[in-house]
Order: sequence, then structure tokens, then C-alpha cells
Amino acid sequence: MDRITEDPDLCRVDIVRRTLERYVQPTEAEWELIAPCWQEHAFSRGTSVCSAGQVEQWFYIVRSGVQRLSFPHDGSDICVGFAYDGSWCGEYASFVTRTPARFDVVAVTDSVLVGIAYEDLQRLYQELKVMERFGRLILEELLVGRALREIEQLSLSAEERYDRLVKRSPQLLQLVAQKDIASYLRMTPETFSRLRRRR
Amino acid sequence: MKVDRLIDELGATLREQQARAREILQLPAEQLLRRPSGGAWSVLEVFEHLNLSSGIYVRGLEDVFAREAARYRANSHFTPGLLGNWFTNGMKPKADGAIGWKMRTMKMFDPGRQQGASQASIGRFIEMCDRFLKLLEQARTTDLNKLRVVSSLGPVIRFKAGDAFRFPVAHQERHFLQIERLLRS
Repeated sequence: MDRITEDPDLCRVDIVRRTLERYVQPTEAEWELIAPCWQEHAFSRGTSVCSAGQVEQWFYIVRSGVQRLSFPHDGSDICVGFAYDGSWCGEYASFVTRTPARFDVVAVTDSVLVGIAYEDLQRLYQELKVMERFGRLILEELLVGRALREIEQLSLSAEERYDRLVKRSPQLLQLVAQKDIASYLRMTPETFSRLRRRR
Repeated sequence: MKVDRLIDELGATLREQQARAREILQLPAEQLLRRPSGGAWSVLEVFEHLNLSSGIYVRGLEDVFAREAARYRANSHFTPGLLGNWFTNGMKPKADGAIGWKMRTMKMFDPGRQQGASQASIGRFIEMCDRFLKLLEQARTTDLNKLRVVSSLGPVIRFKAGDAFRFPVAHQERHFLQIERLLRS
């Protein structure tokens, strides 16, 4: 593990490869075109990755750290999601539509993201069939994820939503402010802390 | 002190700092984010701190140069102000490289409480040095004793324009020592 982190280039390519290979299997020749398009970005905790109003230029894979997706409403932030190791990050709607972002993306812990620029991703989609397939598969995954979350939001009780989160992403409880998790679960911070004390 | 010599020396230091910043920008992300124990800043946060604090002087100098520089004739001599000199010298490391007096950062210059830091912070630092260098060239044609700039220590303390160059450059130099220490650890 140490040897990998000492060579940043290997590490950058490594995470891209591991992540993409969950969906598609490019050939070595294809990798030679794909790998150089990805760049490493470091954000210290509290830094904005993308702010509402600006056009998202990058589509990221998370190498380390946790980021929060939220939008301002009535003087506070409503949290709609988190990104962490191996997941996607960025303001995707802004990225694909090339219009100003609606959400703020903030690094809540020190984070390293590996990103691809819009033009590069479009070029890969055009040049490589395997990348177009990758694009379709991640969209399908994102869509299914959204649908599931919508069902959970509307049908589960606060207690059930809390339990699902603890089961699915226990590490979030240590890394993220309680008020953000409460907002993500659509409950008051008071309800959240009551559920937390219960166990 | 001779203005030409002052400008040459500050220019050389700024160019060295810029060159080092460009090298640091190429280092692995993990190294730039690494935080020493005790909650001290990472390399990226040190750069953002410099953007926040030196930014006061760049903007102040640009503003006063645009409005007032033409009013004064070139003066080849600069006499540091009492406070400006005192603060600038306080920034300088001692002969053995140890830091003279320690200062606490004001909240408004703490990147952690402001907007955080990323590699873009290093990019902004490099650009800021360019703005300083441009101002330094303009400085030859006016009087650095007469123009005054509000300091980062609050609106009550105003530095002579010459000190508004000397102080931030010395402050940056001090933090480059910290950056090198961070990169070695």
C-alpha cells in the first residue's frame, strides 16, 4: 500500500482503472487513451469543490475523503448526498448540461479526487465504444440509486431511514457533521440525536 | 534605502517563490494535504493563508497606484515607516533560520475558517506574485514614501507603499520556511 502512494502516477491510474473496471473492460490500447485524461485534485477540508452558480468542469472519482452535496434553502443548507471512496463526485447535472450548478459540493474532510474534464470525456465517448458503454452504465446506476432513495424518503420512518444509513455507510457517522446527516435523512437534528442515543 | 535595489531584491525573492510554488504544484496530492499533528496547516492551507493575507496588499497597492501614483514624481529613495519596518523585521527569521517571534493568525486569514484550500490556491498564489511584480515595475515611477496602503493588521495601521511590498514578501518568505519543513516531515 505504501509503495502505491509513493508513486502518484501509478496511484492516479490505479484508482481510475479499478473504478472503471467495475463496469467495462477496456483493452490495453484503449487504456492508453483513457488514463492520461484523468487528473488528481486535492481539496483540504472545508473547500468548495463546485459552488452553486458556477459550471462544473469535472467529473470525479473519489480517491479519499468525504464530500457533501447540498443546496442553500431558507438560510440553511439542505444536504442531498455524500460522496466517498470509489464513488462519483461533482455537480453532475451542471457537468452534462453546461449550465450553472444548483448544488454546492464541499469537501468535509481532506479529499483527493481524480477528475476528467468535460471535453475529454465527450471525446472518449465518441472515440471509444467501451467508454460510451461506461457512460450508459453509470447513468443507469445513478438513476436506480435516485429511485431507491426517493422510495426510502417517502415510505420509511425516520427510525428506518436512520437504521439503513448506519447499515449502509457506518463510517459517515464519524466523518460528517450530525446536522448534515440529519438534513440528508430529512429529520431534525433533535430527532437524529434521539435515534443515535437509542443504541 | 535605494528604491532600485529594493525593487530588484523583492522581485528576485518573488520570482524564487513563484518558481518554488510551480515545483510544489507538481507534488502528489497526499503530500500537499498532509497535516502535521496538533491541527497545524497543510501545505495547501499555508498557500491559501498567503493569498488571504498578501491579497490585502496587492489590492491596496493596485488601488492606490491607479488613483494616486501619477501625483508624485519618482523618488529613488525609500525610508521605511516605523511600524512597517518593525513588522517586516519581525517576520524575518533569525540568523540560524529559527523563527523570531511567533504570531497568532487572525481568524480572517485562517483558510480553515474561510474557504479552505486546494491546488487552485497554489495557482492563485503564483498569479498574485505576478501582480506584485507588475506593481514593482510601476513603483519605480512614483514615490513609495508618499503613497499609503491599509495594512492587514487593521484599518488603523497604514503602511507606506514601500512597506506594503516589504512586509508581505517577508511574510511569504517566512511561510516558505514552514512549507519546506512540512515537505520534509
